[in-house]
Amino acid sequence: MYHINKILAVAFIVLLTGCSIGGEKKIKIFSVEQPREKLDYPMPTALQLEELKWIIITSENAQEVFAKLEAAGIDPVLFGVTDKDYQVLSRNFAQIRQKLQETNNLLEEYKKYYEPEEKK
Amino acid sequence: MFSTIKMTIAIILITGIAGAGMYVMKLRSDNAILKANQHKLETAITEQNKVLEKQKEDFTAILESNKKLNVLINTFKKDLQDLDKRFTKKNRDIGKLAIDRTKSIERIINKGSANAQRCVELSSGAEHTEEELKATLKSEINPECPSLANPNYVPYQ
Repeated sequence: MYHINKILAVAFIVLLTGCSIGGEKKIKIFSVEQPREKLDYPMPTALQLEELKWIIITSENAQEVFAKLEAAGIDPVLFGVTDKDYQVLSRNFAQIRQKLQETNNLLEEYKKYYEPEEKK
Repeated sequence: MFSTIKMTIAIILITGIAGAGMYVMKLRSDNAILKANQHKLETAITEQNKVLEKQKEDFTAILESNKKLNVLINTFKKDLQDLDKRFTKKNRDIGKLAIDRTKSIERIINKGSANAQRCVELSSGAEHTEEELKATLKSEINPECPSLANPNYVPYQ
């Protein structure tokens, strides 16, 4: 009887556990994706520059230019640059304009790359 | 004695059958898990392929963008060279010219200044006028920034 109980106990344990020890493991994949909100700034407003008038003043026309300014009620004073400095000013102006264009272009490219328009 | 042996054999048989049943059930469960794993792996491969495809698209977009930017920078260089050329072409001295032909140089400078201002407006995102878009001749363009102001103008060779 004692042996039967032992056998029964062993059989019962085997029955309960079976061969489940070391069985296959399930793969668990978690993927939580929350897209970032779009910044969606509008593009900067375009500039509207005011008109600027250049006056060329030489030793010969200086009197005439100042007289004209006075006649037009404008203070007879001019802020001058030499011909070489005028060229420098033109170059600087062109470079500022190019930098502005480059920056705007970069902004557009970034927007296009990171915030493409939704395909409908 | 005989009945004890019989009982033991019976118990072993029952246990064996039950164990076999359990084993088959476990095999079926393992099979189901393996199938699910296989499905998940296949899905993962598909997703990986999608990621690779997206990466490829991104690289193409980056290359395209870089190319555009390089073209733009080269245009800038050319515009600056053209500007220099206008001041120094054929040993031109703008100072001497301004002394000799004050009024006409003043007019040219004011026109150039207005053109340059328009270039700045366009650089900041202003819309092109119809006139600017239609310009195809050298006499119609904004010479300060033709590539920006007149997209339809093709420079003469």
